[in-house]
Amino acid sequence: MGSMLGDWPSFDPHNFSQLRPTDPSNPSKMTPATYHPTHNRTLPPPDQVITTEAKNILLRNFYERAEEKLRPKRAASENLIPEHGCKQPRASTSC
Amino acid sequence: MFQYMEELQHLNFSALMAMGDVSDRIGRPTDNGQIGIIDPDCRLIGLHLYDGLFKVIPFDNKGQLKEAFNIRLEELQVLDIKFLYGCSKPTIVVLYQDNKDARHVKTYEVALKDKDFVEGPWSQNNLDNGADLLIPVPPPLCGVIIIGEETIVYCSANAFKAIPIRPSITRAYGRVDADGSRYLLGDHAGLLHLLVITHEKEKVTGLKIELLGETSIASTISYLDNAVVYIGSSYGDSQLIKLNLQPDAKGSYVEVLESYVNLGPIVDFCVVDLERQGQGQVVTCSGAYKDGSLRIVRNGIGINEQASVELQGIKGMWSLRSSTDDPFDTFLVVSFISETRILAMNPEDELEETEIEGFCSQVQTLFCHYAVYNQLVQVTSSCVRLVSSTTREFRTEWNAPSGYSINVATANATQVLLATGGGHLVYLEIGDGVLTEVKHAQLEYEISCLDINPIGENPNYSQLAVVGMWTDISVRIFSLPDLNVITKEHLGGEIIPRSVLLCCFEGISYLLCALGDGHLLNFLLNLNTGELTDRKKVSLGTQPITLRTFSSKNTTHVFAASDRPTVIYSSNKKILYSNVNLKEVSHMCPFNSAAFPDSLAIAKEGELTIGTIDDIQKLHIRSIPLGEHARRICHQEQSRTFAICSLKNQSSAEESETHFIRLLDDQSFEFISTYQLDPFEYGCSILSCSFSDDINVYYCVGTAYVLPEENEPTKGRILVFMVEEGKLQLITEKETKGAVYSLNAFNGKLLAAINQKIQLYKWMLRDDGSRELQSECGHHGHILALYVQTRGDFIVVGDLMKSISLLIYKHEEGAIEERARDYNANWMSAVEILDDDIYLGSENNFNLFTVRKNSEGATDEERGRLEVVGEYHLGEFVNRFRHGSLVMRLPDSDVGQIPTVIFGSVNGVIGVIASLPHEQYIFLEKLQSNLRKVIKGVGGLSHEQWRSFNNEKKTVDAKNFLDGDLIESFLDLSRTRMDEISKAMSVSVEELCKRVEELTRLH
Repeated sequence: MGSMLGDWPSFDPHNFSQLRPTDPSNPSKMTPATYHPTHNRTLPPPDQVITTEAKNILLRNFYERAEEKLRPKRAASENLIPEHGCKQPRASTSC
Repeated sequence: MFQYMEELQHLNFSALMAMGDVSDRIGRPTDNGQIGIIDPDCRLIGLHLYDGLFKVIPFDNKGQLKEAFNIRLEELQVLDIKFLYGCSKPTIVVLYQDNKDARHVKTYEVALKDKDFVEGPWSQNNLDNGADLLIPVPPPLCGVIIIGEETIVYCSANAFKAIPIRPSITRAYGRVDADGSRYLLGDHAGLLHLLVITHEKEKVTGLKIELLGETSIASTISYLDNAVVYIGSSYGDSQLIKLNLQPDAKGSYVEVLESYVNLGPIVDFCVVDLERQGQGQVVTCSGAYKDGSLRIVRNGIGINEQASVELQGIKGMWSLRSSTDDPFDTFLVVSFISETRILAMNPEDELEETEIEGFCSQVQTLFCHYAVYNQLVQVTSSCVRLVSSTTREFRTEWNAPSGYSINVATANATQVLLATGGGHLVYLEIGDGVLTEVKHAQLEYEISCLDINPIGENPNYSQLAVVGMWTDISVRIFSLPDLNVITKEHLGGEIIPRSVLLCCFEGISYLLCALGDGHLLNFLLNLNTGELTDRKKVSLGTQPITLRTFSSKNTTHVFAASDRPTVIYSSNKKILYSNVNLKEVSHMCPFNSAAFPDSLAIAKEGELTIGTIDDIQKLHIRSIPLGEHARRICHQEQSRTFAICSLKNQSSAEESETHFIRLLDDQSFEFISTYQLDPFEYGCSILSCSFSDDINVYYCVGTAYVLPEENEPTKGRILVFMVEEGKLQLITEKETKGAVYSLNAFNGKLLAAINQKIQLYKWMLRDDGSRELQSECGHHGHILALYVQTRGDFIVVGDLMKSISLLIYKHEEGAIEERARDYNANWMSAVEILDDDIYLGSENNFNLFTVRKNSEGATDEERGRLEVVGEYHLGEFVNRFRHGSLVMRLPDSDVGQIPTVIFGSVNGVIGVIASLPHEQYIFLEKLQSNLRKVIKGVGGLSHEQWRSFNNEKKTVDAKNFLDGDLIESFLDLSRTRMDEISKAMSVSVEELCKRVEELTRLH
């Protein structure tokens, strides 16, 4: 291997084989032609129009929480008293 | 609103496309720019558009896009997000900064079903404080490289490798190998490095970095193939480079193969007429940092004068070779009303008068040409003469029938076509010392012009002749040698054709026909049938045109000599017209001599000039590399200098920069004098002006002391310089209480915008004869008065965030008062005064708008409000407007009456805003709306929507602005599409083309 950098990858040896350096102090000013499509082929298919879900991320979060809450709520109701009981002693300690 | 479109053909989806609006109604746009990424396994597109939100557009298993949704992203100050390779679930890596300014990376899996993030496989805290860029590494190694300013880190679930680097800010990277083991890194100083991941058995063992060389400051790096790399730069010219395996003498592995002009960012510019020809040129402050430069942008084609001689009354010119196969021209035949003179190059390469003995020199020459068998042909009003080009002796002649004189004639190497009075058309062929009258035709009217330029297969023989006619105003095509009419085209109107020409551009044959009133018609010509199609008409000038072909760089072009000389050429198979930067040319002929190769002889205003011609293209850009960043520019006519405010970064990594005021010669563009500003002092504004009661012209410079601990500058200076013997002499200075953002000459005084204040200074003579600036009056009430323009006593102020306001200076009271303001909250980037009542502004959401002073308002409230009359989304961040034009303005042309303003943008765009007359506006608006139906936005993006004025507060349809680029694209349409529009508008295609061509002549 001739270089410490290693060889540069080559996909097709013909690529750039004909390219001759031009004077870099005289940069190329070519302006590529603008593409003006006069056909409909670049229009997306009707089912491929990107939309964002209408539900706001915050609302989605609320609904999800509400759903989550619905289930444990039934279970929690059974423990309503100990929960109150929990608060009671705290109130008493503060007195 | 935000549009996003992704073409996924490269991902093996069958030409699938989708588009849509992914903007959210609520959300704070990210400070560090939008991020759009695609999962390497094509499961989703990720977008980071608003702080705290990550938008996901999922793909289904057929590659179809599904409804997008947002996920909350806890990290608010995101620097970069990338997808990781080789993860079973789509996984992003987020580089972010916390509220203590420390930087970390974190990974998240995207749970598509739950529409949420799940904590990822790893994270890494407390990275380099300058970490700013993530490079995801493809399989088999996977993981991510984190590029910092002092370290580079490789990170994955089971490895962490770091190396220190020389302090630098990496702006771009490009992957070299498919396996991701080598990357090109481009930094802020334009240095290109190679980063190598060393690995064993798919395990990363370390990192190595190697300096390759210098390029333009890279914004993108793309390894193409076979060591060729494209460096896209938004700070300098983009480049195609080759990476050599061995370093050159300077130790660089980089070889620049090609570079591509980039004018951006245009920070400031001025319009000047350096050649004093009445044609504006734009001189821009372009590029940034070490790629900073001045660019001289000029429209039209210049003639570089090699020699010139005073000669009055030239009636025609032809160049001749001394032998048929000589590649160079020897003689230049110049014809006058009653004589013909021959000029030739002498052995000292000087043009001197000589003789061709066989020619008639006491009469006017109608046409000359070299001919086969080393002969020359001369046509005068009485005869056609054939002369040996070697001995210069007479060989034979053909005489016009008695009583008839030759009016017009043309010839090529083997044929002569001439017309005498009475509509006689005579065709001769040239032999070796013989002129044969082959054919004669009698036409019903007089002949005004003719041509037999060979554009068929035989370069010496034409099978077609074209003839322009008086009376019926037609052009006719005849076959040769039999002189049969094969096509007759009536031109319409009353103006006779004065010059016809057969020509061929890019393999397409055309007939050009110039009329006596400066109009030019062009037709596509079928060489076999003589059929003329696709007639188009343009206006080149107002005087008769003479058409001639010439060649430059082996391509044939046509020169149209008239009061507005034009080069007609073709690009992408479309005919283009480019102005020649000369005032009036009566005749032109190519003169390709050994001493003056590829030159033209030009007869203008009593002068014969030999000159070479610029490259045939519309815009000419000259680059003056500065090696430093120019931020303000100003021209001073009297001293023939430019002054710029610039800054130079010290090459060491310490963030020290020095600011200068530099004086440049306006011809050589060399630095001739420099004034260094104080530490921390920035040049903010520059102006060339004079003051009342003082004949001198000064450069005034406004500065600001930008101290790291201050939010806004609280101190600045106004420096007044005079150019003495090519040097900047500081005459006086005045301290200000803030940054001097703008300076204007105002009623013989100096008007400065200093932070939130507008301040007027008088130029006072002190007792000792020295001068000083003395504060006269001011006006408070702006957030920051950044941009100021004045007209008479009116002052138009563009505020940082309070749009445009109009102030008036009251002489009697010596006070400045607010007259009116626009109550919208536009963050301004530039303002300009279009006329007494209309002011133009650009703002930081890439919009343009105009406001109108309402002097006739019934109430104070109405009069105090600037009414918004025009709105338009330009899509460019405009840094400066200037009155002026890039094209020569002729007072007698219609186009010359249209006022124009030029703008320069961050992307390097130079544009023209023209104030059109109402009738033209209505016409073009109709054309634009018809074009919108025919030219469809790629991917279904609507032009109307794109041009709508749009900022955080509102989106409204564009009004009172037209898109000139869209309108001009009419000329690129196919004939059937043009017909479609012509039908919809009930205007002929020819008329539409003419109106649009007129518009193209504004720039």
